[in-house]
Amino acid sequence: MPAVRGDGMRGLAVFISDIRNCKSKEAEIKRINKELANIRSKFKGDKTLDGYQKKKYVCKLLFIFLLGHDIDFGHMEAVNLLSSNKYSEKQIGYLFISVLVNTRSDLINLINQSIKNDLQSRNPIHVNLALQCIANIGSKEMAEVFGHDIPKLLVSGDTMDVVKQSAALCLLRLFRTSQEIIPGGEWTSRIIHLLNDQHMGVVTAATSLIDALVKKNPDEYKGCISLAVSRLSRIVTASYTDLQDYTYYFVPAPWLSVKLLRLLQNYPPPDDPGVRGRLIECLETILNKAQEPPKSKKVQHSNAKNAVLFEAISLIIHMDTEPNLLVRACNQLGQFLSNRETNLRYLALESMCLLATSEFSHDAVKKHQEVVILSMKMEKDVSVRQQAVDLLYAMCDKTNAEEIVQEMLNYLETADYSIREEMVLKVAILAEKYATDYTWYVDVILNLIRIAGDYVSEEVWYRVIQIVINRDDVQGYAAKTVFEALQAPACHENMVKVGGYILGEFGNLIAGDQRSSPSVQFQLLHSKYHLCSPMTRALLLSTYIKFVNLFPEIKTQIQEVFKQHSNLRSADAELQQRASEYLQLSIIASHDMLATVLEEMPVFPERESSILAVLKKKKPGRVPENEIREHKSPVPGSTANHQEERSAAKTVSANASTDLLGLSTPPAAPTAGNTGVLVDMLGELYTSGSPQPHANNVAAQNAYNPAKFVCKNNGVLFENDLIQIGVKSEFRQNLGRITLFYGNKTSTALQNFSAAVTNPTGCIGKLNVQSKKVDPTVEAGAQVQQMVNGECVFDYPDAPSLTVTFTCNGTPQKLSLRLPLTVNKFFEPTEMTGEVFFARWKNLSGNEQRSQKIFKATQPMDNTAIRTKLIGFGMQLLDGIDPNPENFVCAGIVHTSKQQIGCLLRLEPNKQAQVSDLLQCRCFFILLRVNVCETLSGTGH
Amino acid sequence: MIGGLFVYNHKGEVLISRVYRDDIGRNAVDAFRVNVIHARQQVRSPVTNIARTSFFHIKRANIWMAAVTKQNVNAAMVFEFMLKVIDVMQSYFGKISEENIKNNFVLIYELLDEILDFGYPQNTDTGVLKTFITQQGIKSQTKEEQAQITSQVTGQIGWRREGIKYRRNELFLDVLEYVNLLMSPQGQVLSAHVAGKVVMKSYLSGMPECKFGINDKIVMEAKGKGMTTEDPARSGKPVVVIDDCQFHQCVKLSKFETEHSISFIPPDGEFELMRYRTTKDISLPFRVIPLVREVGRTKMEVKVVLKSNFKQSLLGQKIEVKIPTPLNTSGVQLICLKGKAKYKASENAIVWKIKRMAGLKETQLSAEIELLETDTKKKWTRPPISMNFEVPFAPSGFKVRYLKVFESKLNYSDHDVIKWVRYIGRSGLYETRC
Repeated sequence: MPAVRGDGMRGLAVFISDIRNCKSKEAEIKRINKELANIRSKFKGDKTLDGYQKKKYVCKLLFIFLLGHDIDFGHMEAVNLLSSNKYSEKQIGYLFISVLVNTRSDLINLINQSIKNDLQSRNPIHVNLALQCIANIGSKEMAEVFGHDIPKLLVSGDTMDVVKQSAALCLLRLFRTSQEIIPGGEWTSRIIHLLNDQHMGVVTAATSLIDALVKKNPDEYKGCISLAVSRLSRIVTASYTDLQDYTYYFVPAPWLSVKLLRLLQNYPPPDDPGVRGRLIECLETILNKAQEPPKSKKVQHSNAKNAVLFEAISLIIHMDTEPNLLVRACNQLGQFLSNRETNLRYLALESMCLLATSEFSHDAVKKHQEVVILSMKMEKDVSVRQQAVDLLYAMCDKTNAEEIVQEMLNYLETADYSIREEMVLKVAILAEKYATDYTWYVDVILNLIRIAGDYVSEEVWYRVIQIVINRDDVQGYAAKTVFEALQAPACHENMVKVGGYILGEFGNLIAGDQRSSPSVQFQLLHSKYHLCSPMTRALLLSTYIKFVNLFPEIKTQIQEVFKQHSNLRSADAELQQRASEYLQLSIIASHDMLATVLEEMPVFPERESSILAVLKKKKPGRVPENEIREHKSPVPGSTANHQEERSAAKTVSANASTDLLGLSTPPAAPTAGNTGVLVDMLGELYTSGSPQPHANNVAAQNAYNPAKFVCKNNGVLFENDLIQIGVKSEFRQNLGRITLFYGNKTSTALQNFSAAVTNPTGCIGKLNVQSKKVDPTVEAGAQVQQMVNGECVFDYPDAPSLTVTFTCNGTPQKLSLRLPLTVNKFFEPTEMTGEVFFARWKNLSGNEQRSQKIFKATQPMDNTAIRTKLIGFGMQLLDGIDPNPENFVCAGIVHTSKQQIGCLLRLEPNKQAQVSDLLQCRCFFILLRVNVCETLSGTGH
Repeated sequence: MIGGLFVYNHKGEVLISRVYRDDIGRNAVDAFRVNVIHARQQVRSPVTNIARTSFFHIKRANIWMAAVTKQNVNAAMVFEFMLKVIDVMQSYFGKISEENIKNNFVLIYELLDEILDFGYPQNTDTGVLKTFITQQGIKSQTKEEQAQITSQVTGQIGWRREGIKYRRNELFLDVLEYVNLLMSPQGQVLSAHVAGKVVMKSYLSGMPECKFGINDKIVMEAKGKGMTTEDPARSGKPVVVIDDCQFHQCVKLSKFETEHSISFIPPDGEFELMRYRTTKDISLPFRVIPLVREVGRTKMEVKVVLKSNFKQSLLGQKIEVKIPTPLNTSGVQLICLKGKAKYKASENAIVWKIKRMAGLKETQLSAEIELLETDTKKKWTRPPISMNFEVPFAPSGFKVRYLKVFESKLNYSDHDVIKWVRYIGRSGLYETRC
């Protein structure tokens, strides 16, 4: 029984101890029912209760609620408590309200009123209680009602520090429920300046708030960088005696330091050299402090110190510009690798994974390879071992690949089941990526299947087969190795699959040896046949038929096997069918025919390793990149800038060219800073694209010219530094098929890729367009295809538009293009004699059947050029018909699904003037006529 | 095929754990505790399926007993067996409580070994068990005694040993019935049935053969046909229509099937001779007429009239009417003409107790209930008014016609046996909606 003090509630204590003493659930429910009835009668009774009693009963209700019973009364009493002046009563009232009141309740107005009063109270404790309550409930309604008052409280000069602290946290909570609560404008700087506050508590609370705000709106709060840096440097340089209340086991303000370091990770390294220098100084100091002997043996001291250190290291990794710091961080982490604390080892490995991907510290990380391998093998905790595997994967490169792969293979035999599959994938990827000698690769993969066959996914053995087939220098070796591997008494089914496939293709390469003569090979494979699943059996049957081709001498033997399996003995329908078909094939077909049918598999197209995709899918976010990051300044929204720059380059070419001229010297020097963006982008373009002598051409390449495609069916529709869109089209009668190729030119995948074809309103019903969906991701350097089918129903005025959207490096991109599907594509050229032509030409001499246009040639007129264009336009160019040899005469039929429309055209260049052409087109349909005129004149020769 | 049997206390601590089959692992003990005893929501089904394992449980006071199996067993058999285990334990050490179970755990394990073999129930007759599982420690028995036990346990009449002698041959017969009722507020019977049993205490010498006669409809009709053509029901003698019944193992079922007569050699001491169930022509001893009026949102008036409905000369006893009150009751004023009434907050009900009440009487209670306004819109789901009572007759109309004792070897006849017959009608779930 707790001691009963003046303010202690005896009844509550008794009630709680009664409940605790209850023997059974039923007894407890009875006691609670009794108490509830008592409270109801007290609340209902005529006597008015004093504050103490109300507090006591509300407390009991809270307790009952926390035991899991519904409470549906007492809210009014709790609200009454809010207006009490005693702290304990007010506190209980707020507690009840924040736990039990739902926001839809009718009482919410009363509650809001009380909170409002308390917010304006002079007593800081009351204000704090109100703020706490708002934060606990944190509803949208609350945010609306108090969204105005709390920011004022936060920045006002005469609020106490404790209140400010609560206000900042309360605001943070409300900000998370509704983003609009934070006013912009002048408030921004006032909130930022809280970082300068005298009181460390306020700064700590404000940092959390600012961090959340920065995540939403990084540009607006940019000002916080310098303040945060100076605050950080003050803390870091302070000795532990300076910040009396905020020193935790001799570490000055560890929480605040961590938060500030996190805050800085939202931004790229500061531009201002002063700020930057100061920040680097801070980070150096933190690294230095880690070297100092500990001031206390207590675990809290080292925990706090290391927390700051790890956060500092993450910031260093994030900045990724200071080779010196990166290397120092790496060395520091190296010390932790052999620390006694498991958590520390885990964290060290985790951070090292990130360090390994930075170009500056990659080599530094590699120094610790021995220790990491040791920790993969010896570590007790499986999560640490897993982390060690990740790190090994990340730090692997050409120089150490062989050793790391070997170590991982060795370890795989004893590895924990939970990480085996992932390890298998990693080994497979590393072996493929860094294989200099493909015999080594084949050895590794076969070893992998031998050691951990169950964990080898399909993709892994598909991949080894792809590689063996694509590289003829290893085929013989592979055949020999699998043959040897298959001789083991017990081998994994995956091994049988690989063996079956490779021997079927390249068994002939080792058939010369007596020990691996054809029949030995066949017997060996067939000895495994009965132990395998139907899928493998099917594969083996295919191998056998390949053997029939490779080794005619064992044909009868194999036919025997086929015979056995072509009847009911093999229950699987697929196997039965295969066996019968192969049997017939081997009987009927001549040797030449067999040789053609069962030819060696063609080379597989090279593409991204499918294994990598599997690994990424399995562990999104957990796969450390094995690639060393290219040096890029991580400006948020930097790619958005690209686009602007691009359009600028296009329109104001003079401006762009000056920029570019300055860059014609090799731009690769990796200078830091934001200005590097354009440099990088164009630099890349400059080197990666085909040699472009003039800056102008770069701009021209970016531009896209839809008119070009009026007379052209294939070509590059659009190209910039991110993407290349190619087009290939075929037309037959009223049907057309356009294939679009989207090539990713960047080194990262394009996400959320979509390409939609929209028919302009004027064309609905006249042109049917159907497009297939494309994959939402386009991997780096990959190309995807999209088919668009068009059907011309009737003459239509405008070509459909194509909208391509995707996200590159986190920046959404949108391109709007015109699909090259103009009406002239459906022209069929028609031959006719001069008489027929002019007879028809004259027939169509009415005004409504004729359209005429005079336009200026943009390029010097050249007969051959005009001829190619007209032929490309789709009509038949009729030579020697017009009396004037300078004139061009064309005839054609537009095929629509409704009807066929004949069309005649005459072009009269005026060479003397070099200014105008006369284009006359005659046809029954106005629209078509105008259309033809417009499109053709648009090309402007 | 019971896989195992566990006994827990109210906290879920295991008191007894006996596993009979290998398919039940040790984790089954915890599975039941976690999923049933400590379940967030009370588990109301007596059979719970957890991970392809079935748990059958019953609860006595604060003690849980659970039988576990992985097979598809006859659930009724399992429950019957568990009830039998409880009976056996009660006859060995009295009340089932945590204390008693802890004190007798050696005995319990011994019993469990005996009455369940590889999950198959064996002889659970207390009389037999007591001959070879004793509480007196090790007492070396003579060879003759041992032989006698063996012959009895393995013999034809396993439930009675030879050579029993009494100076006074006495027989006690109790007809115990439980009336279950659900009635609508208008007085319409929604469902009613009687579950009855005949419990016998026999103190008879030798190996007597008994014959038991009741006013079963089939027997009476067969008889009536022999004597008169009149319908026996109309002839004034009431008959009882038994829906189904079951007998103690001593009853010769072959005779019951052919002649519809109940004849048996009784075990010594107390045993349950038969169990039966009837649903037709039940005379309901009491009638409850409720009247509920809600006056506004904060007040409610309840009036309950209680009528006794049996012979004036008889007395009903231990009458208790339980009237549920709304969950937001803040105060109750009561007036009753007879007995005592009280508002019990812990049960959310008004409890009205009357010690005695003669037949064909009427009494009433009125209550004024004050309510507290709450913020829930949920309406109170008026639970039914329930009642308890005890009356000295069988509500089903069950009558003992005769009980004859024949003992050919010893020298006493049917007339020398002193016989006592008693009828008790009790309430089962006796509810009236309001």
